[in-house]
Amino acid sequence: MTSETAGGADQAPLAGSAPGVRARLGRAVPFVPGFLMLAFLFLIPMAIMFVFSLWRTNSDFNVVADWNLNNYARFFNQPVYLRTFAKTLVMGTAVTAAGLALALPFNYFLVRYVSRGLQRAVLLAVIVPFWTSYLLRVYAWQAILGETGALNQFLMGIGLIKEPTTLLVYNDTGVFIVLIYVYFPFAALALYAALEKFDFTQLNAAQDLGARPDQAFRYILVPQIRTGIITACIFVFIPILGEFLTPTLVGGAEGNLIANLVVNFFRQSQIPEGSALAIVIAAFVTIVLIIFRRSLRVEDVVTRG
Amino acid sequence: MTDLMRDYSRRQFLKVMGAAAGAVGLGSIAAACSTAASSSAPAATTAATAGATAAASSGAVAPSATALPTGTFNWMTWGDHSYPAQLDAIAAANNIKANSTLFSDNIDAFTKLKEVGGQLDMVSGDALWVPHYFEAGLIEAWDINALNVAKQLYSIARSFPIWTKPEGYLGYPFGWSPVQIYYDPAKVSPTPDSWEVLLDPKYKKRVVVEDQPVEIMAYMGKFTGAANAYSMTPDEISKAQDALRQLKPNVLTLANQATDTIAKLKTGEAWIATGNLGTEARVKDQGGPDLKVFTPKEGTIGWMDSEMVVKGGTNENLIMPFLELAEQAEYIAANFMLNGRPLFNEAAYKILVNQGQQERADQFLYNKPETVNTMSLKGPGTSTQAVIDAFNEVWGA
Repeated sequence: MTSETAGGADQAPLAGSAPGVRARLGRAVPFVPGFLMLAFLFLIPMAIMFVFSLWRTNSDFNVVADWNLNNYARFFNQPVYLRTFAKTLVMGTAVTAAGLALALPFNYFLVRYVSRGLQRAVLLAVIVPFWTSYLLRVYAWQAILGETGALNQFLMGIGLIKEPTTLLVYNDTGVFIVLIYVYFPFAALALYAALEKFDFTQLNAAQDLGARPDQAFRYILVPQIRTGIITACIFVFIPILGEFLTPTLVGGAEGNLIANLVVNFFRQSQIPEGSALAIVIAAFVTIVLIIFRRSLRVEDVVTRG
Repeated sequence: MTDLMRDYSRRQFLKVMGAAAGAVGLGSIAAACSTAASSSAPAATTAATAGATAAASSGAVAPSATALPTGTFNWMTWGDHSYPAQLDAIAAANNIKANSTLFSDNIDAFTKLKEVGGQLDMVSGDALWVPHYFEAGLIEAWDINALNVAKQLYSIARSFPIWTKPEGYLGYPFGWSPVQIYYDPAKVSPTPDSWEVLLDPKYKKRVVVEDQPVEIMAYMGKFTGAANAYSMTPDEISKAQDALRQLKPNVLTLANQATDTIAKLKTGEAWIATGNLGTEARVKDQGGPDLKVFTPKEGTIGWMDSEMVVKGGTNENLIMPFLELAEQAEYIAANFMLNGRPLFNEAAYKILVNQGQQERADQFLYNKPETVNTMSLKGPGTSTQAVIDAFNEVWGA
């Protein structure tokens, strides 16, 4: 592959000549399926949604091509949307941080102290929840955290509380707990891939050279698993910006995130109004991705996967 | 209207299903033995009716079974408008198959039908949505009295003014229910009679309402005196929103479906809930507490639904024969036992009475279809967008 490319460069015909164009087209062919998929399943729908976001819905629930920015003004003029979006960002950050805080030590001990065979079994256990539908898993948490749920029964059984507590579900706490549960496997798998390639003897070497354990962790381990950390952040933080189901099922009246407000428009066929809010979120996600990507060096991805 | 199945005894179900199967069997025999024929759609439906009406003792004329069109049609509906055994029996005996697609809400169905048009042949819809479909040119009006099975309906169901147009009737009436308030008398006192009980601070996190923002705003509008709960003025929306602010701290959760409401009432997590007719019976059936129910003194909202014939539907010729078969009293009685809410078929009520189910049917107001005239009926509002904004304003962070 390398020699072909080099050879091709050496013998590159004049730009615009037929063999050169053919060669370039030939090289582009493998990208066509991916490009078509990206275009038809992402770019075109997003473009349509953007156009819709600039129109309006009339009282007959018809979308009218009446170009305006009112739907975007709604997001910025009505404080509830900004407040709820800010809350969503806080929730996303908190869940991501908690997910990393749980997944990092989990993977550290798994990779460093557990045999290969057992590692696979444990990883299988991590992904087993994916065999059950998301909806059922979240419903199960209603039964666990509810007033008559398993957790309350347990806490009362061991005498920690006398009456069932309602603090665990149908509020932000419930959403936080369930989101951590839902997204932990994503964080765990991303970090496992990074830690698996790490040479732990470097930590011993660092300490032999006088570094404290926390310094070895901070200056030796973290920089080398940065790709995994960033990937975990992307896998956890970004989906939470669009989380709708978990707040609906365990958030009660207090736990709504921005997607819950957006969906109210779509459910009533107010498509332009909902589209504008969705585009704002998508734009924010794009910015976040750009920031994440800038913090990834190409060689990180190439050399560490 | 609701997609949910309720618990019922095997004996009750077998009895009603046995009657339904018998009706279909007799119907097929009667239709096959008959010699009369007609080419018009309503008359063709008479053939299909013959079998079931034989069992229902209506004495309908039974033309030849060969006059019946056969095939598959597309029906967008709620999950409780039929049941699998019913559709299987009709398909087996008459070779008319319903390809059902479910939808969540009227606006959902309306939007989809606008997109696909004649790819669908029949669609279910609520109350004021029905004339809205007609005005949008999506459905046809037709002569309901041309259907023999329509004689089984309560007379009021054949003449609802909102469904009556010079061109004909807009839908085949199916079921109805007001939204009522259910409460546990052991926990809620004094005896409530108003929407106001939902807002009482002493019931913090003890109320469950269905996750339907427009409906919630509609009954908050009823409470605050809005003239039209689905088309409120800005001032009325503001008042309803104030009431919603008081409601929010009391809401344990917004229920996605009736089973969620029932589960919360059953476990005692919720003491008060809004819901369709029969919620208290379902809670009791599942071992929950004895609940009381009332219709708020300020009035309530409600739904009544029907089957509409899609304009230009590819398989439109199957709809009338199908309705003649599927709306027979035996099937409707069985459907009531399965899903528990009042239906418009009076003959089915008589079957239920004969089978010892009168108490249950009366508890569900089955024999009082005139109640629909006291409800603010579901329909497309002119204030939907402002209502959602008002709801989001309260329900957001």
